[in-house]
Amino acid sequence: MRILLAEDDPDLSRQLKQALGDADYAVDHAADGEEAHFLGDTEPYDAVILDLGLPKIDGVSVLERWRRDGKQIPVLILTARGAWSEKVAGFDAGADDYLTKPFHTEELLARLRALLRRSAGHAAATLSCGGLRLDPRAARASVNGEPLRLTSLEYRLLHYLMMHQGRVISRTELVEHLYDQDFDRDSNTIEVFVGRVRKKIGADRIETVRGLGYRLIPLEGETESA
Amino acid sequence: MKLPRLWRPSLAWRLVLLAACWSVFVLAVSGVVQTALFHQASVMRFDDDLREDAESLFAGSSVDDQGRVAAPPLTDPAATRAYSGTYWEIAEPNGAGIRWMQRSRSLWDSELAPPPDGLNSLRAKPGTPVFYNSIGPAHEPLRVAAMLTHLPGRATPVIFMTAEDLTPVETSAHRFAIETIIGLVVLGAGLILLVFIQVRVGLGPLFALEREVADVRTGRADRVAGDYPSELEPLAAELNALVAHDQEVVERQRTHVGNLAHALKTPLSVMLTESERHPGPLADIVAVQADAMKGHVDHHLRRARAAARSQSPRERTAVAPVLDELAHALERIFRDEQVTIDWRCPDGLYFQGERQDLLEMVGNVLENACKYGGRRVRAQARATLGQRLSLTVEDDGPGLPDDQLAEVLKRGERLDESAPGAGLGLSIVDELTSAYGGTVALGASTLGGLKVTLDLPAAEA
Repeated sequence: MRILLAEDDPDLSRQLKQALGDADYAVDHAADGEEAHFLGDTEPYDAVILDLGLPKIDGVSVLERWRRDGKQIPVLILTARGAWSEKVAGFDAGADDYLTKPFHTEELLARLRALLRRSAGHAAATLSCGGLRLDPRAARASVNGEPLRLTSLEYRLLHYLMMHQGRVISRTELVEHLYDQDFDRDSNTIEVFVGRVRKKIGADRIETVRGLGYRLIPLEGETESA
Repeated sequence: MKLPRLWRPSLAWRLVLLAACWSVFVLAVSGVVQTALFHQASVMRFDDDLREDAESLFAGSSVDDQGRVAAPPLTDPAATRAYSGTYWEIAEPNGAGIRWMQRSRSLWDSELAPPPDGLNSLRAKPGTPVFYNSIGPAHEPLRVAAMLTHLPGRATPVIFMTAEDLTPVETSAHRFAIETIIGLVVLGAGLILLVFIQVRVGLGPLFALEREVADVRTGRADRVAGDYPSELEPLAAELNALVAHDQEVVERQRTHVGNLAHALKTPLSVMLTESERHPGPLADIVAVQADAMKGHVDHHLRRARAAARSQSPRERTAVAPVLDELAHALERIFRDEQVTIDWRCPDGLYFQGERQDLLEMVGNVLENACKYGGRRVRAQARATLGQRLSLTVEDDGPGLPDDQLAEVLKRGERLDESAPGAGLGLSIVDELTSAYGGTVALGASTLGGLKVTLDLPAAEA
């Protein structure tokens, strides 16, 4: 397992390199944002530990660039800033997990293991539909290369529509696939989620078929290679 | 010295009142003067006619050889009708009074009264008519012209008197006065209305400024942006400077606190990691103390932010995007637990305050729900009465017994030691909500777990 550690504090970097090395990971270290971006762009890492307060280019920008380029490496963000506004910005940029300084090394290692386990899971194929892309392994979607921010219910809705693109899917069917059995099923809530997903991917992509349900429209003349 | 504050008229009222006082005064004076002038001119015209009559009476009279005066043949038929209002009389002085010699038939058997001062004014200007007011035989107001003169062939002077009823003059003067008053009242009302309009239009920018300042306070605008007349321009500029200064102070305070707290965190990480790598009694103490320091830093950092913010709730924040971002982030954080956050929020709902604070409050409540709940978290935001919003977060976890509900909000209280977290989550939520004049209420959810309800100020859409 090869890990990129992007951290500018020399003491913390040394400690983390040692701890990761002890846990049998191969570690590359980048001390600034430029180096981190370059390494992440060129080397095939299994995961990245990214400090947000990096010199030259900050961590969030580095992450945004990777995600924009379609890189789906699992990223664990490390930061001194623990406010929700900062956490949310990190996840918006495409982080997979978040750890606030100061932290215990075991916690970092546990989070890293979870991250690697998830990304190594069932390798489902990427779904695409005219500019829309959905990567079930990373649970991420993008439209025309722009990463989408989807909550899990929205993601499930889009996933189901993409698996059955072009077909009209009834509300009842959607509710059944959106919610677990113990959830209260109210078919009106589907409208709420369809509305939100439309806002994020473009209103014309999901068609309402009167009395029947919804349909994801594949754009013509566009083929996407996964 | 301050005046008692019983009556403080608005600027508009002051201006209107001042203009009204002056207008009323000017109009009243002009009304009185105009009426007087009109009356005077009418009487003068009246007097001219009377003089002419008196002179023709004098010119047409003759004296017979016995010294008796003969009146001219009558030309005015009105003088022949009894009490017609047109009279003449030829008299001679008789002691202090007069005695009539000839008189118009209209007088019947009455006489014209001599001037109020007797014969003095007549004697002072012989040959010139003297005018005075009197009462006629039919009790009508009379204007009398009397002229004392000598007739050839007669030694004693003769007084020629002509009189005319003044009623028509009085009537027309009266009518003129009424018409003038009506005209002036209308003019006055028009003037005051005009002044009122002028004041409203003139003070318009002031009212606009007031609205803009209110917008800045409620967060709908971040500065006073309007184009103001030169008198208000400096005030608007000063207000903007004040707002900017205020924001800068808050921002600086926040930055200082933030920098200090964050600067401490990386060294703390190093200390923690180092202590873990070298186990022993010293390492244990370092680890425990570093953890405590972390807790203090976090706590005071958040407190400082809460305190710095509550003073300037000028911003407003849309609630739906905040819930969207938090749900997205938390579902990733709790991905292994497969937590689903089902949030609902009307589109036009705004929180009266800063985005960071709303994220902090709702983020902590949602995180707690994800941490202590099962797999399902429900968040519902809605507008409530009186510009408030209510945000409810429910989970399907085991929930809390009543006696522990109150304990949850205490600082640093950690109810479930098995769940990771600083335990400061809900106390910072409590601090932030009270800084915004809101409340946190705990209860049981129909999902089975805890229900946390935040009541917060809403902003107009």
